[in-house]
Amino acid sequence: MPEDAIPRHTQVFAAAGTAFLRVATTAGGMGILLFRILARFFPPRIDGGEIWKNLYKMGVKSLPIVAITALFTGAIMVVQAATIVKRYSAEGLLGWGAGFGTLREIAPLLTALMISGRVGANNTAELGTMVVTEQLDALRVLAIDPIGFLIVPRFVSIVATLFMMTLFADALALFGAAHTGKALLNVDPVTFYNGFTAGLLDFGDVANGLTKSVVFGVVIGLASCHFGLATTGGAPGVGRAVNAQVVASAAGIFVLDYVTSFILG
Amino acid sequence: MSVETGIRFQNIVKAFGPKRVLNGVSFDVHKGEVFFIIGASGVGKSVLIKHLVGLLYPDEGEIWLDGEEISKFDEVRMGPVRKKCAMVFQHSTLFDSMTCAENVALPLRKHKGLTLKESVAEAKRRLHVVHMQEFGDRYPPELGDGMRKRVAIARALTLEPEYVLFDEPTTSLDPVSARRVDKLIRELSDTLGVTSIVVSHDLSSIFTIADRIVMLYKGHVRLLGTRDDFKHTPDGVVNQFINGRAQGPMDL
Ligand SMILES: Nc1ncnc2c1ncn2[C@@H]1O[C@H](COP(=O)(O)OP(=O)(O)OP(=O)(O)O)[C@@H](O)[C@H]1O
Ligand SMILES: [Mg+2]
Repeated sequence: MPEDAIPRHTQVFAAAGTAFLRVATTAGGMGILLFRILARFFPPRIDGGEIWKNLYKMGVKSLPIVAITALFTGAIMVVQAATIVKRYSAEGLLGWGAGFGTLREIAPLLTALMISGRVGANNTAELGTMVVTEQLDALRVLAIDPIGFLIVPRFVSIVATLFMMTLFADALALFGAAHTGKALLNVDPVTFYNGFTAGLLDFGDVANGLTKSVVFGVVIGLASCHFGLATTGGAPGVGRAVNAQVVASAAGIFVLDYVTSFILG
Repeated sequence: MSVETGIRFQNIVKAFGPKRVLNGVSFDVHKGEVFFIIGASGVGKSVLIKHLVGLLYPDEGEIWLDGEEISKFDEVRMGPVRKKCAMVFQHSTLFDSMTCAENVALPLRKHKGLTLKESVAEAKRRLHVVHMQEFGDRYPPELGDGMRKRVAIARALTLEPEYVLFDEPTTSLDPVSARRVDKLIRELSDTLGVTSIVVSHDLSSIFTIADRIVMLYKGHVRLLGTRDDFKHTPDGVVNQFINGRAQGPMDL
């Protein structure tokens, strides 16, 4: 009997070890990539034109989807708060209740997940395709540094896009919440807005959410570039890379959300 | 005329896993000549020329370019080597997200300090050389293989390289375009003194423009010589290959 048990335990340990090594390799790879990205800033060897191109492609084109998500998120916050607000006639607190959670948590988190799905996945697929079709080698042969030309502009654009989209989502979510409050609970939008300017909420809450958005942006930027660059094995490899990016980004976002919430208090 | 050695491969060994693709390959390429590399599919022709631009590194052996041993150069030191030694990939590998003109303009913009506008204008002029001027504003995925290859040739020539590595430049081109590319390669050598290394299966290219030819077979150099040496060799393997016969001593 013990002879049977030992191999099974060994298998479990082996599997755990393999999984741990894989996570460590990925984290290590992303750490090295971050270092190489930062090295391109001193002195700056970054393609400005590519930054604008990517900001347009990632930022401007994400506006509609972020707008819809944000409006409905705000509305959902109010719907969820409605029972309590009604029972205690706490109309004055509706703005605070919806605003607190939205600014500090929901807007940065949902925006990050949307951007990871739209921009991060796209970025991984594009880089992965460039790798498997040797376009990255073609850049190197033209004596152009792929990190400075391709990776840094994408990384910077992702972080900037997520930051701006979070700000935008904050505003739209509160707007959506205010108008849902009016429609559902007949709370005047002015009362709603007073609810979070009356001292219960301050700029710190907005800054808290925006700090998170930068952290999430770094996670998505690193993960999507890392998995794109590490692609091997043709079209199926690109599929696997995109998949890995989405999973790693989501996991990273939730873990770091917890960590930053804890640190920022 | 004295010959000057431009490129020297010395005992190059390269394996992928257990598979030894190159097993001690040595030859010299003279400055200014049109040098062909031939051999069966999978013999390692593309692998060999990728060593010259630092896309692959040899397991053993040395590579000399203009009196420098480059086989251990890192990315930074490879930069100048890559500027003087351009490469046309077997599958063209244009950047899909840029138009053909932007593809050709990219090295001009990055290395010659031209603005985007200037570089695109210059790129359109360069596309004339390969008869692709009408396609400057099209994206590579919309074009056929032969057209992409010609744009890739224009892109490789933008930095006025001293050496150009052509990986099957005439494969998938129509006969007229193919002969134009042959003529271009010959002219680069005759008028500008550019050294070309051409990987090719195209017998009519080989026997019209090659100064010297090397044939690789089973990881080794099988024969190195002029067109005449190849035509008159008693070697059955070489004979079978250059005459394209299905039967013979060659195993693939
Ligand atoms: N990155 C790589 N990893 C593993 N094996 C490789 C790699 N690159 C090339 N090979 C192998 O090396 C061998 C030689 O490939 P190469 O592309 O040089 O052939 P070739 O002579 O150019 O053939 P063709 O005429 O078909 O282009 C092939 O068997 C290929 O599978
Ligand atoms: Mg090849």
